[in-house]
Amino acid sequence: MQIIGPDSLVFGVDDVPACHEFLTAYGLDAHDYTPEKGGHFLSLDGTGLEIRRRDDPSLPPALKTGNMLRMQVLGVVDQAAMEAVAAELGKDRQVLRLADGSLRTQDDQGFELSFRVTTRRPLDLPAEKVNAPGDFGRKPNQIGVWQDMPTKPRTLSHVVLFVPDIEPAVAFYRDRLGFRITDTFTGTGPFLRPQANADHHTHFFIRTPPYMQGCEHLAFHMGGPTELMLAGSKMIKAGYESFWGPGRHKFGSNWFWYFKSPLGCNVEFDADMDTHDDDWVPREAPMGAEAAQAFLFQHRDKWAPSGGPKPGH
Amino acid sequence: MTRLCDLDDLPEGGARGFEVPGLACKVIVVRRGGRVHGWRDFCPHYKGGTPMAWKRDAYLNGAGDHIACHAHGAWFDIETGACVQGPCLGKRLIRVPLTVDEAGAVRLRQREERT
Ligand code: FES
Repeated sequence: MQIIGPDSLVFGVDDVPACHEFLTAYGLDAHDYTPEKGGHFLSLDGTGLEIRRRDDPSLPPALKTGNMLRMQVLGVVDQAAMEAVAAELGKDRQVLRLADGSLRTQDDQGFELSFRVTTRRPLDLPAEKVNAPGDFGRKPNQIGVWQDMPTKPRTLSHVVLFVPDIEPAVAFYRDRLGFRITDTFTGTGPFLRPQANADHHTHFFIRTPPYMQGCEHLAFHMGGPTELMLAGSKMIKAGYESFWGPGRHKFGSNWFWYFKSPLGCNVEFDADMDTHDDDWVPREAPMGAEAAQAFLFQHRDKWAPSGGPKPGH
Repeated sequence: MTRLCDLDDLPEGGARGFEVPGLACKVIVVRRGGRVHGWRDFCPHYKGGTPMAWKRDAYLNGAGDHIACHAHGAWFDIETGACVQGPCLGKRLIRVPLTVDEAGAVRLRQREERT
């Protein structure tokens, strides 16, 4: 199955203007937005979030748990890939064909799914470059950081779900939709990569009781660790609250910084994730603080060593 | 008794968080129905607890009728602290007893200052 990953995540929220405030501060651009109806919040390649009111009749049904995630829109490479999804899922469930060309169905847990030929734009942007003795990534005179350098999320990276019945959930994504398991936290759940995406994961599942079903967090890719640090620092300065980070995960190697949000889930900045192909041999480790990150820091206000003896003393 | 704020600084239906010397987490004060309710800013979802606002003082859900943890959307009853929806179902917030003195200042009750 030539699935690329989430093009869009649809939420039905309690407070649309609060989401607008948060997501624009996070760096997404609002499109077709009104405080009454909500709108789209897009990253540089056009992937992003659709935010509507919880009671918007155009939304698919809500999860029973109150979680605000209403649907995942998965992008596939072309029409042939759409037909392959329709044929496979049509074997045991209703797959609707909508007027806009998309497919609509549900996974085995009741998470709403939509498939469309991806609308993401290819990005022609350099990654953050690093200089080191032996390998100079930047040209002479090219500087590595400045205070107001752009820190725009580039693309929707991944979604993490609280999943009650995890074995069938994993089987659905792996066996029906062709996702590869890249790594697994024993007892918690697997990281999943769709076939048309080299990223370490576009999905991660966490085993939970049924009353927790929903979205645990979502993340966008940044241009590199410096952008991530700068973007997160701006959030803190503006009064937004960190949940976890900054740090660097072990599985996936991605830098992370999570912020709480009015979407009822954490919203993460990530950067520099590993990519894989089918030669990769999945790893497994028990979930815990040691396995979850290589290192973890906490933000503090800017500070400089100063106040020493005055010149001339 | 530690003074947190003046009642007048806290509009009906509003919530604010306060740092309290000697307490590792903030204290959330919610004014509702003419009363003030104090809770530790300490979501019981994970061991060790986590602070709950998505930005400074943003402790309530959209309708303003529940305290919400904005990490994973848990809702807590403002009066009882019980989680009514989300990841902490069956758990509750830790109450911080408050008094409002004659001058209208919201203060921690003695007991809390010893913990
Ligand atoms: S940390 Fe509060 S709901 Fe998860």
